Amino acid sequence: MTTAARPFYVPVGDEEQVFAAAYRQGLSLLLKGPTGCGKTRFVEAMAYDLQRPLITVACHDDLTTADLVGRFLLEGGDTRWVDGPLTRAVREGAICYLDEVVEARQDTTVVLHPLADHRRQLPIERLGTVLDAAPGFCLVVSYNPGYQSVLKDLKDSTRQRMVAIELDFPPPDVEEKIVSHEAGVDHEVAARLVQLGQLIRRLETAGLREVASTRVLIAAARLFAEGVPLAAAARAAVAGPLTDDPVVTAGLHELIDTYLGSAY
Amino acid sequence: MERLRLLASAIAGRSVEVVAADPSEQAWTDGVAIHVPSDAGHRDAVRMVSVQAALVAAGSLTPLLGGARRPRVAPRYLAVEGHRALGACEDLLPAAARSLIDHRVASAVRSADESMALACSRSAIAPAPWEFGALHPRRVLEPAAPTSDSQTLVELEEDDADEDARWSWSSPVGGGGPLGKLLARLLSPTRSRVDSGPLGADRPTHASSVRPGAGRPVTTALRPDAATGVLGDADNVGTSYPEWDVHGARYRADWCTVTERNAPLVAAAQSTPLDGATLRRPLARLGVGLTPTRRQPGGDDIDIDAAVELVVDRRLGRPHGEDVYLASLRRRRDLAVLVLLDVSGSAGEPGTGGRAVHEHQRAAAAVLTSAAHELGDRVALYAFNSRGRKAVQLLRVKAFDDHLDAHVARRLDGLVPGAYTRLGAAIRHGTTILEHRAGTPRRLLVVLSDGFAYDHGYEGRYGEADARRALLEARRAGVGCLCLSVGADVEPAALRRVFGSAAHASVPRADQLPAVIGPLFRAAIRSAEAQQRVHHRRERAKERLDMDRRNR
Repeated sequence: MTTAARPFYVPVGDEEQVFAAAYRQGLSLLLKGPTGCGKTRFVEAMAYDLQRPLITVACHDDLTTADLVGRFLLEGGDTRWVDGPLTRAVREGAICYLDEVVEARQDTTVVLHPLADHRRQLPIERLGTVLDAAPGFCLVVSYNPGYQSVLKDLKDSTRQRMVAIELDFPPPDVEEKIVSHEAGVDHEVAARLVQLGQLIRRLETAGLREVASTRVLIAAARLFAEGVPLAAAARAAVAGPLTDDPVVTAGLHELIDTYLGSAY
Repeated sequence: MERLRLLASAIAGRSVEVVAADPSEQAWTDGVAIHVPSDAGHRDAVRMVSVQAALVAAGSLTPLLGGARRPRVAPRYLAVEGHRALGACEDLLPAAARSLIDHRVASAVRSADESMALACSRSAIAPAPWEFGALHPRRVLEPAAPTSDSQTLVELEEDDADEDARWSWSSPVGGGGPLGKLLARLLSPTRSRVDSGPLGADRPTHASSVRPGAGRPVTTALRPDAATGVLGDADNVGTSYPEWDVHGARYRADWCTVTERNAPLVAAAQSTPLDGATLRRPLARLGVGLTPTRRQPGGDDIDIDAAVELVVDRRLGRPHGEDVYLASLRRRRDLAVLVLLDVSGSAGEPGTGGRAVHEHQRAAAAVLTSAAHELGDRVALYAFNSRGRKAVQLLRVKAFDDHLDAHVARRLDGLVPGAYTRLGAAIRHGTTILEHRAGTPRRLLVVLSDGFAYDHGYEGRYGEADARRALLEARRAGVGCLCLSVGADVEPAALRRVFGSAAHASVPRADQLPAVIGPLFRAAIRSAEAQQRVHHRRERAKERLDMDRRNR
């Protein structure tokens, strides 16, 4: 795969080294981290480095095995087999990234077992065949351990077939760099948004299920780059997505006005 | 002022309330709430809140818990420690508060204890800016550590400067700011009867001591109308229910009166997180099984019958559809859940892990309600206790049509255990609410209680039999019943006596619910459906029998 430039990713620890090593050894990878901390971007960057195509599947709770592996379609009087994204990745030797894998139905994740261990095979029940993974194939799954039940739900048998990399929000100086680069805003603006993010992450039980991610900070910065005043941008991109609760929203708006408002 | 709560909590690094105080007061904090004079301008309020929140974050209140301090030390301590606290979290402060910092003072001390040492010394200290407000050592509350039992007010030595501390409490139960505790105190009249007899189920939830010569507290969020235990006010008419008399094996008609009212909305110190993530998964598949559905426009497999028909139709030149797939579709959820939370005095007892039973149950109620809500179920949450058969009260924390928002969390936090447990009447009213307001074919009643049924004339076998009876009635009406004892040390045999054959379980902590909740919910729903069928069949048989007799 040859894209113009490497997707922008700033490593925080040894995650790039671990990923590359696991890839070369044919091990499957499990990425853990909160929503919007850069899991997907990290995989994109690694796919670029390793020169492999990347096939991403966003998992949801109605995702069936057929959605991943493939199904028969009816065309005229005949049936035609259509590969699912996972089968395509296995055939082409691509990196297959299953985002938020625990959202998928439990019967679905079982199909990953023979792929994730030393066998590297994908049994296709409907075709009655077993497909050997092409060289270069790599399975990467991600999930958000913030949803606690998830830990229990990803079966131990699945987990133990993987190498885990834990990601978190980057430290403030790195996050500033990321926000400023992604949105094309200056460091002063990025620093103020990151400070707001830090504050929101300090709230423990303010009625927020998730905290302000790097992604929402970037979104706010991009609105600002388009000429939206900073406080208004943060209201739209940070406060709005985080909560629907009027009381919490009022508190967040106050926080935003205090830190990003033009008055001080 | 309330809008500044998130700002304060973010700087403090834990949940802190912001409360409007009298304009004559200076800003101060007890570690749980920050009091800001109500007439402060916005910018000043932000600065004052920042300072007080920084004091909380920097642990500046800790040395004050030590005991006696000379009255003149507090302002000197604040003048040093305030700068240190602000300096320690400078990166988090709004620009307005940053300008308050005197870096020379801030860098002179490295800890709260050093500030205290300096304050106690003879060296000259520049007075603090007025935005620093004041410190009231007597009013500092010990923070509730997440694992520790509860908040207790530490009685400190008299501080002469502190002339307007009118009352103080010590509380064996957590939850609620001073206001909530005050309300609870006024709403729990049975405490006054504590010394009149050996009432095992009750214990004082608050010991109050009013200082001589001090005025009565005058501000409350809601005017409690029940200071004497009389519940019914003009527009709040109670509902009558029968009660099962096990000794006479008959019902006592219109024996109990249940009154519904809103749970008080108080500025709570700690917020029970309304996050049902842990239970979402075990409950997600209830009542929403996947059904293979034929003749769909898309799906996992081809519906052979539909495909054959399609080919036949096409060959015959008849109009035909293209819906020839077999898909597994999720059925719509059709479940309503009503959570009944026991807030009788016995819930105030210490439970497992050094926390009161009430705290465990409250956490369980929060997580159950949120999980059901997130899954799209209709859900309501009521708390209950009683003081005699004519005064059973159900406190509405969340009605079926209420939004699940911060107000629900606060009402839940404001609940303080008191009085007794007339379980049967509460269950009967819960069932009535489910029947009339749920609006779904499947209904589930979740009772969170230590299973200690006790009230005036509701002891031992009598109370247990009535509770069992009420649960059976509910199931006959098609309402699934599930009884959970969380954090209370109850014997399984005792639970069985009260809950009978209804699905029940006892777990030591709320976070252990995910392991047991799925099968329990399923069993409760199934048993209600079975009971309802059996009951209907018997009723029909009885009707036929009656008709036969009449015809004969």
